[in-house]
Amino acid sequence: MTDQEIIDLIDASLAEEFELDPADMTPEANLYTELGLDSLDAVDMVVVLEGAFKFKIREEDSVREIRTLDDIHRFVIRKKRLMEKKTA
Amino acid sequence: MQDNAPAGKGGFRGRLAAAVTTWTIYPLLSLWTLLGIALFPVAFIAWKLVTRWDGGRIMRHFIWLYGRGWMVIVSPFVRLRRQGMEHLRQPRGCILVVNHLSFFDTYCMALLPCYDVTFAVRAWPFRMFWYGRFMRLAGYLDVETSSWDEVREASAKVLAAGGHLLFFPEGHRSRDGRLQRFYRGAFRLAVETGAPLVPLCLTGTGKLLPPGRLRLEPARVTLRALPAIDPADFSGPDSHRDLARETKRRMAENIREMGEE
Repeated sequence: MTDQEIIDLIDASLAEEFELDPADMTPEANLYTELGLDSLDAVDMVVVLEGAFKFKIREEDSVREIRTLDDIHRFVIRKKRLMEKKTA
Repeated sequence: MQDNAPAGKGGFRGRLAAAVTTWTIYPLLSLWTLLGIALFPVAFIAWKLVTRWDGGRIMRHFIWLYGRGWMVIVSPFVRLRRQGMEHLRQPRGCILVVNHLSFFDTYCMALLPCYDVTFAVRAWPFRMFWYGRFMRLAGYLDVETSSWDEVREASAKVLAAGGHLLFFPEGHRSRDGRLQRFYRGAFRLAVETGAPLVPLCLTGTGKLLPPGRLRLEPARVTLRALPAIDPADFSGPDSHRDLARETKRRMAENIREMGEE
């Protein structure tokens, strides 16, 4: 998957899960103050990302530092690339 | 959906009716509120001596009675109806979820046949000086600033005592009458506690007083309780999400039907 394909899949998954307006989903959008997610949504978001990308991230400390959509994009891309290196 | 959408300006008769409604309800509601605050200390002590209830339960009863007073005040201008209230006859405390259209939605909860209802609300209503202290006394839950563990613990106590919990899962009033996205706290709580979930559908308050407007308009307000949903019917790690989706589907269907009546 290219970086853009990963970003598109993240955005589509979150838009569907949380009924977000794609127009609001700019990379700098804060998940909590701008997109209206709450702490329980954050847990569901992790489940959604795990389902979409077939990895486990719920135990990772860096997940708790995610604040913006761009944070998620970069986190998932990094995770995917690490997985690809391990399987190569 | 028409009863949930904010109304237009209407003709001269419509504007006159709105003016009469506005200039009658607000003064009477202010008087009723002031009277309630003035009588509260004496009434509270009297209720305590007579019933021996705990303070929170007494306060919730008072708030329900305050809502009943509001119903009397608005009754010349607002046709209030309730449907399906038999679904609230449960052997244990329930989790109630209701759509949100107007500031007056909370008042409409006096249409419920039960008074022991603990509201789960955001942080800002606790900052209203004339309501906040009574909400705290009633044991209402601040689901915005409390941690999930705190909410779960407080909710479990309410349900164990046979009380009901009420959530507005949309979190905000709808601006167009349509159901917004549902936050999942109420549904996760239902799954974790096993408490029956009773969806409530409200129509008409969006015409009476929509967000962003002070002028009141005569309206027909209906509160419909739907059959309880057993969270045990939803299993697996996604159970609370599935429960939220199914609840929303049923509510949307009923609200659409109520708008067409």
